[in-house]
Amino acid sequence: MAYAAVKGGTKAIEQSLDRLTYERIQSKQVIDIETIKGTMRGLIDQVMSESSLYGEDLAALAIKQAEGNVEEAVFLLRAHRSTLPRVYYTKPIETENMAVERRISASFKDIPGGQLLGASHDYSHRIMNFELLKETQSDMKKWLQSFLQAEEQVEHTTNLQCLPKVVDYLRQERLFPEVEEDNAEPLDVTKQSLQFPATRSERLQILTRGNTGAVTSLGYAAIRGYGEVHPTVGELRVGHLPLTIEHPTNQTQNDEDDYYIGTVKVTEVESFIPVSIKKGQKEELEFEIGYGIVFGQNETKAIAMSILDYSLSSEGKKYPTEDEEFVLLHIDSLESSGFISHLKLPHYVTFQSKLDSVRKIKKEPVSL
Amino acid sequence: MNRRRRTEILIEGSRHFAKELTKEIEQKYEIQILSEPRHALTMMKVRETAKRSLFYLGEVLVTETKVQVNGHIGIGIVAGHEEALSYELAVIDAAFEAALEETSYWPVLFEIEEQRIIKQRSQREQAILKTKVDFEMMNE
Repeated sequence: MAYAAVKGGTKAIEQSLDRLTYERIQSKQVIDIETIKGTMRGLIDQVMSESSLYGEDLAALAIKQAEGNVEEAVFLLRAHRSTLPRVYYTKPIETENMAVERRISASFKDIPGGQLLGASHDYSHRIMNFELLKETQSDMKKWLQSFLQAEEQVEHTTNLQCLPKVVDYLRQERLFPEVEEDNAEPLDVTKQSLQFPATRSERLQILTRGNTGAVTSLGYAAIRGYGEVHPTVGELRVGHLPLTIEHPTNQTQNDEDDYYIGTVKVTEVESFIPVSIKKGQKEELEFEIGYGIVFGQNETKAIAMSILDYSLSSEGKKYPTEDEEFVLLHIDSLESSGFISHLKLPHYVTFQSKLDSVRKIKKEPVSL
Repeated sequence: MNRRRRTEILIEGSRHFAKELTKEIEQKYEIQILSEPRHALTMMKVRETAKRSLFYLGEVLVTETKVQVNGHIGIGIVAGHEEALSYELAVIDAAFEAALEETSYWPVLFEIEEQRIIKQRSQREQAILKTKVDFEMMNE
């Protein structure tokens, strides 16, 4: 059989795309963007995080177009992102300025400002709620009214705009070493190809935009036996970070001249990791910090990121989870799904070549 | 009133507030639109708390508008799809840049709106603080 280059399929592709639209709308149900935004908080957060683009309206539209397929929605958003100009960089965001909505610590019972459970599925029974099948607008309104009325009856004095960080408290107590501010300009993995060894800024940027499942699985592997990390969550926070930018032409270095442009919701984690340090003949126990931060409320990913941050900074390179190339080059949603998906593209020539080799070998007499 | 404070009040406050201030300027001055509201990206630079170094968290979609009033340029930039608010922010920014007479009494209005935001924020915080854990020792 001779090799032949082929073309065609245009009509079939057109029909396939129509078929895709048919599948999306054949149930004659229309879901609007506001409904997606209002009801699928977790999905929107995941899509924004893996796309590395914070925009709830865009994420909701991508989810609608992709029929709820996260991989496809991320692809759409990454593609759209590449069509938009980047006009500004924010001033460095200090996460201590987060307006906190949830904040817990697994390391200390009493933390300055207290533990706030906020909104979380963690404390629910995970029993299917069949009442939701019958939920109506009037039920919701009634529940909201009673909840909001009850809210106004409570009095507290804690300011959630600037809760002290647990890690800062431990540094003040000299339990953790003080760290000087490092103002080196970060590298941007969207502007230049990753080189190894990666810088800390590149590593954190890739981890935060990583596929939720991949980051979680590798973080799990690192604590289960394919790594040497035994973390405790020092502090986990969910809340909004304020964003400011300098005047584009008149940069006065005065914060008061900045533009406030809004907020983004994030989950931030500091994991405390005990490490043995050899000091002369003795081994002393110290703590390192693994750092995780992701768009939206995505706590598992943020904790896993903090584990991988620490794993990748270790010098041992004994486990795959400590290998930058293994972790950083395989956790990106678009790169991994893109490469796997390319296997669906025609490989007729390469496969025929392999088939020919097999045929040739089969024809050769077996030598005894 | 400085720009940092006033832009926060305009963005976090009632949409009606920014609209009313803009209307005042539109009625008395010619507003030249230098750049229509457009969508763009702003990269977020964050200081992580382990080594206290900087890195890029990702981009946020913003809407940006540029206008000119009395020869002074105003910029309106806000996160999200916010064409109307972005335009209003630009007009109000230009009004302050040009030190138009209206801006002399605006600070009082800004302060009233700021107080409203603080009250709303405080109500939200009170609600969140209801989820504060009150630990009890089991052996007591």
